[in-house]
Amino acid sequence: MHIPNGFLSNNLSAGLLAGTSIMFTYCLKRVYKIATTDLPMVSENNKNIGVCTFDFFNEKSEYFQKLTIIAMWIFSSQMFNIPVQSKISAHLIGGVFTSIIVGPFAGFLVISSVLIVQSIFFADGGILALGANIFNMAFIGSFISYYVYKAVANKSHHLAVFIACLFSVLSAAFFCLVELNISGVVNFSTSFKDMMYLHLIIALLEAIITLALLWLLKFVCK
Amino acid sequence: MNKKIIIALFPMLVVLFASLFSSKYPDTLEAFSVKQGFEKQAKKIVLVFNDYNLPFINNRFLSFFCSGMIGLVLLYILYKTIK
Repeated sequence: MHIPNGFLSNNLSAGLLAGTSIMFTYCLKRVYKIATTDLPMVSENNKNIGVCTFDFFNEKSEYFQKLTIIAMWIFSSQMFNIPVQSKISAHLIGGVFTSIIVGPFAGFLVISSVLIVQSIFFADGGILALGANIFNMAFIGSFISYYVYKAVANKSHHLAVFIACLFSVLSAAFFCLVELNISGVVNFSTSFKDMMYLHLIIALLEAIITLALLWLLKFVCK
Repeated sequence: MNKKIIIALFPMLVVLFASLFSSKYPDTLEAFSVKQGFEKQAKKIVLVFNDYNLPFINNRFLSFFCSGMIGLVLLYILYKTIK
């Protein structure tokens, strides 16, 4: 899912980088506000801090520790490429997991920070395409997907995670395809089926791993 | 064991397992680019830890593991700085 340099046009890359930089700054301000004001750290319906209700770094002073740990979980999970088809591998995006634990604003920040480290130090995703990668995986895959989760969470937590994960991966792949189409690299209509089919398996894998990670975190915190 | 320590150790364990069992096959976007024939447009830039490998360590497992640990340390430093 990490777009390398050279796939996208410079104009589109610059535009997305500018847009995601503004979003990053806004989310950073929100995170500072959460960490410094008297908002409750644990709440079922607090859209600022996610829905993590188990005992896990829930003191104000531990808020940034919580973000660090979740960023490390996502970084390490994204290193683990799992073979999904013949000669194709996939890894977790972790957007839904992150935003459920820390909320949409911090979720965007955590996924963005992981993508920044991967791009700058490990050449995993291009530096020029960083804006596009943040848009696809942090904004669509984490921030927006959180609201999909919240929309269904009242009915069933597990179903909500499953649907949010499907939405997260498939919509990130969809927007990736749109960006490639705008850059004149692929034809949208002819490549749509290929792109979605490849990512459908990953979406299912993302849902299973997200549920497993949430269960694991809950189990350790009990 | 303290649950915070377990939670902090988990990513290191995943890095260890990733070093041992991570697939070498291309990911979906790479596979998609090969299928659509635009994979050669990708511009690789050479960085110190390219593709989670350290150039001065010949062993693939050690190289992958060490670069993963460096990544975790970099994230820790980043969040310390933000805080």
